[in-house]
Amino acid sequence: MSEKEKKFVPEPGTCTPWKVKMEELGGIPGNEEIVKKDWERLDEAAYNFLWFWVHR
Amino acid sequence: MNEKVAKLYGERLNRYMTALDCGKPDKVPVSFGIGDWIVKHTDNNFQEIFYDWEKSIKAVDDILPDFDVDVFGGGPTLWWPPMWDAMGSKLYKFPGMGLDENSTFQFVEEEYMKAEDYDAFIANPTEWIATTYLPRISTEFENPSSLRGISALIRSSVAFSEYNNYMGASWGKWTVEHGVVGQFTGMTKAPFDTLGDALRSMKGILLDLRRRPEKVAAACEVIVPHNINYALSGAGADTRFPCFAPLHRGSYPFLNPYQWENYYWPSLKAVIEGLWAKGKRTYFYAEGDWTPYLEKIAELPDKSIVFDIDLTDAKKAKEILGGRFCLIGGMPTTLLTYGTPEQVKEQVKRSIDELAGDGGFILGAGGVVMGDAKKENIMAMLEAAREYGSY
Repeated sequence: MSEKEKKFVPEPGTCTPWKVKMEELGGIPGNEEIVKKDWERLDEAAYNFLWFWVHR
Repeated sequence: MNEKVAKLYGERLNRYMTALDCGKPDKVPVSFGIGDWIVKHTDNNFQEIFYDWEKSIKAVDDILPDFDVDVFGGGPTLWWPPMWDAMGSKLYKFPGMGLDENSTFQFVEEEYMKAEDYDAFIANPTEWIATTYLPRISTEFENPSSLRGISALIRSSVAFSEYNNYMGASWGKWTVEHGVVGQFTGMTKAPFDTLGDALRSMKGILLDLRRRPEKVAAACEVIVPHNINYALSGAGADTRFPCFAPLHRGSYPFLNPYQWENYYWPSLKAVIEGLWAKGKRTYFYAEGDWTPYLEKIAELPDKSIVFDIDLTDAKKAKEILGGRFCLIGGMPTTLLTYGTPEQVKEQVKRSIDELAGDGGFILGAGGVVMGDAKKENIMAMLEAAREYGSY
């Protein structure tokens, strides 16, 4: 894991927010909204999966 | 949904919504779920009901036509064990997997989070859960970079998605076929319980209150926005129904009044107020006795919770919270196990007389109905609720 990854603290509801991904990519040639919508939905699902384990 | 079922659904929904807003519907709404008491009334053992969701759903399908409730609390199992088995989870033992096939589940409480983990957890809780906690509680995920670890995570996340989809479809079916109104959408917890239940354990967190109270407070504060988010996300876009909040260590006398006011209540209050600011009410599932804290609970915004009466003094709850918050309860779970149908009916009448007068009341069992509850008592409760429950 990079130092950058170690220092990054995701907001509640996210693991890897789209804005972080976009910074890494530096932009995409297509329509950002099409990609972002499903990225964020699946990222939220990953977050919920992780927090599920502490919400017994 | 046919016309008859649609009418039934509309009546039940209206009763529930009116009571939640402290109003007086046409009848006292009745709320009940199907716990694992149902297992002995099927041809299945506990393992089959827990593991085979077709059988679990069938158990509900079979009884719903005779189950005259306005608000339905759900089926006999809280979790689908294959999701936990996929990770080799240490948190639970399930029937037929670590326990006898005719036993219900058990939580295995340990200090899965160590005292020395506080700083890492507070600094980045989601990262800590993913990289420290999950490998620690999961025998199949002990080595996250191995094939075995990666495949375990994939299996379990697929199971998580499958189960959520299946339950969503089942609730849709129950609604269309039986006019079922669900009790809540989404769930959350008191941050102190998030910390004390699955992370530090009872022993751990009580020691922490003596040895490192500032860490407990800091961790609870960090958890607040996560527990708000988890509730809203789990509920989808719904703000009509309350989100379920099973509350544990805040019950008297786990904590002394100073500990409760300074370490339990502030972060729970912040979660409830945060949800209410988004239009989401909290189902304050006050397991045990909360009588000494009713005045503090009354500080919450009007209607922001529905308060579940388990061992809390019902008359005091009515006196202090009534009119500003909907109350639910009136049927001690012990009576459903050890009482007779006649005693249950008398209790229903008494509770309605004492608690339902000016609305804002839902008749239900306070706390968890255990597996040894008698079906004849449950059906007597539902029958008496209709007999005595007209306004």
